[in-house]
Amino acid sequence: MAYLGNRLLSLVLTLFLISMVTFAVTHILPGDVAMIIMGTQSNPEALAGLRQSLGLNEPLLVQYGRWIGGMVTGDWGTSLVFREPIGPLIAQKAAASALIVAMSMSIALAAAIPLGVWAAVHRDRWQDGAASTTALLGVSLPDFFWGIMLILLFARVLGWLPSSGFVHPADDFGGAIRHAFLPSLALGLGLMAHLTRMTRATMTGILQQEFIRVARAKGLSERTVIWRYALANAIGPVVTVAGLQVGYLFGSIIVIESLFNFTGMGWLTYQALLNRDIPLIQATVFTIAAVVMIVSLLVDLLYTVIDPRVRLG
Amino acid sequence: MTTRGIVGGALVALMLALAILAPLLVPDTWATEMDMLARLSPPSLAHPLGTDQLGRDLMWRVMLGARTSILIAGAAVLMSLVIGLPLGVVSGYFGGWIDNVLMRIVDATLAFPALLLALTISAVLGPNLRNTIIAIGVAFTPYLARIIRGEALRVARMPYIEGARAAGTTDTMIILRHVLPNIMAPIIVQATISLAFAILAEAGLSFLGLGTQPPDSSWGLMIQASRDYLDRAPWTALVPGAAVALTVLGLNMFGDVLRDVLDPRHAMPAKPA
Repeated sequence: MAYLGNRLLSLVLTLFLISMVTFAVTHILPGDVAMIIMGTQSNPEALAGLRQSLGLNEPLLVQYGRWIGGMVTGDWGTSLVFREPIGPLIAQKAAASALIVAMSMSIALAAAIPLGVWAAVHRDRWQDGAASTTALLGVSLPDFFWGIMLILLFARVLGWLPSSGFVHPADDFGGAIRHAFLPSLALGLGLMAHLTRMTRATMTGILQQEFIRVARAKGLSERTVIWRYALANAIGPVVTVAGLQVGYLFGSIIVIESLFNFTGMGWLTYQALLNRDIPLIQATVFTIAAVVMIVSLLVDLLYTVIDPRVRLG
Repeated sequence: MTTRGIVGGALVALMLALAILAPLLVPDTWATEMDMLARLSPPSLAHPLGTDQLGRDLMWRVMLGARTSILIAGAAVLMSLVIGLPLGVVSGYFGGWIDNVLMRIVDATLAFPALLLALTISAVLGPNLRNTIIAIGVAFTPYLARIIRGEALRVARMPYIEGARAAGTTDTMIILRHVLPNIMAPIIVQATISLAFAILAEAGLSFLGLGTQPPDSSWGLMIQASRDYLDRAPWTALVPGAAVALTVLGLNMFGDVLRDVLDPRHAMPAKPA
């Protein structure tokens, strides 16, 4: 319990630092925020008006205080591009992204664990080479490139799946899955490559340990040894890495959602960046970093459930 | 040296040679010359890798694009080393409150996906070649700082450091003479792997229009341009995609082998998210 308390306290502190970094990146960097939003060609009166309405004439500390105060009390401001309150906008888009995050994570784990185990079991043989090369190829190609290829194959040539758009699961569940499938696959392929490498490395280490030899000596079937004994010990590190990959996923999601015109959180962030909608940039960037932090905390807690040897104290 | 190391090294050498030699040997005009009668033409004798939507030769463009992509990635990683090395060494060597403060800030920055941070910085500063370097460089700094700190911390506890201190050597001298040389190997490995991620980051930024801007040509920009012509001319995406893949693949393979040789303790690379 003390551990949880400490972690929560440290989470609050880190969230505070994240808010400072977010604010710094959008404010202290050279350049006038009003000018950044409206462009250098805009007229002086309009600029002055915008400065006034965003409170840019006040000291930075006051601006930061008002922004963080608003974030805490739930007043996240209004988007300059969408002309809508930012809070509900983010809630709606984040829900859309949750679908492809969950789907891509499932795809990646479902493929990476068997592939990584297979490579580790056949270490230094052609199976290992094939799996490792596939994984290396996966990490080496940008995920938007996978996205383009998937669009070409599944949407254009075969015509099986839609190449763009978002459908709400409540309106049409099948349609929602179909629309989310290609972006999830594009995200999942890159992720799968990392997780395969991780699974292979962890499994290779475990398969050399004493208890595996003992299990084999007892006459247990190879299948039991690998899937029940070895994998049970490897799953912890693999899940941890998968959890840490959420950060990577949230970076990639910006590119992939924009490519597939999938109107989720990544797409929203991209629109904010493209239109220099500073209040929306701050809110989306802060939200993504906060989610990454919270997920890493959850993964740590989950670790104790998966691997009872880990005692937190 | 394994086959993997040789292939990786050869790929890296080939791409470096392209980036350095192509601008000297291939006139810019070859890559910008438009042949309106040969728009989106498939690979042929006249254009071995085909042409793009403006009839420009893809082989010359991808060769000259190597310069931009590798220049940006190299400069960005160098920048993150220049900032991250002193941060990490000071933090790891001195420890205490300095380490606490610096690493808290680094940890908070690590919560931002590197690509998101780079995109944000580039959007706020205004996308161009210089700002793309700054954006990727800043985004990668916390990863390098974290790793360098860990290494410095390990070395700082070694008996020979204690010995040097007991002999009255100043901290600056200890850092320069004893700490730095002993943490170089893992840093070189990490820098090589970061280079691969920087190439991917540049491609991602340019693909979203927040990186390299025309008339400069980069691989990410070429892939972006290909999106509208995918049905008719898939090679416009495949050619620059293959260039990115081969470079990153080469760097990853080379980095893996480099790690086995220089830094055998670590099995898996840390990677910017």
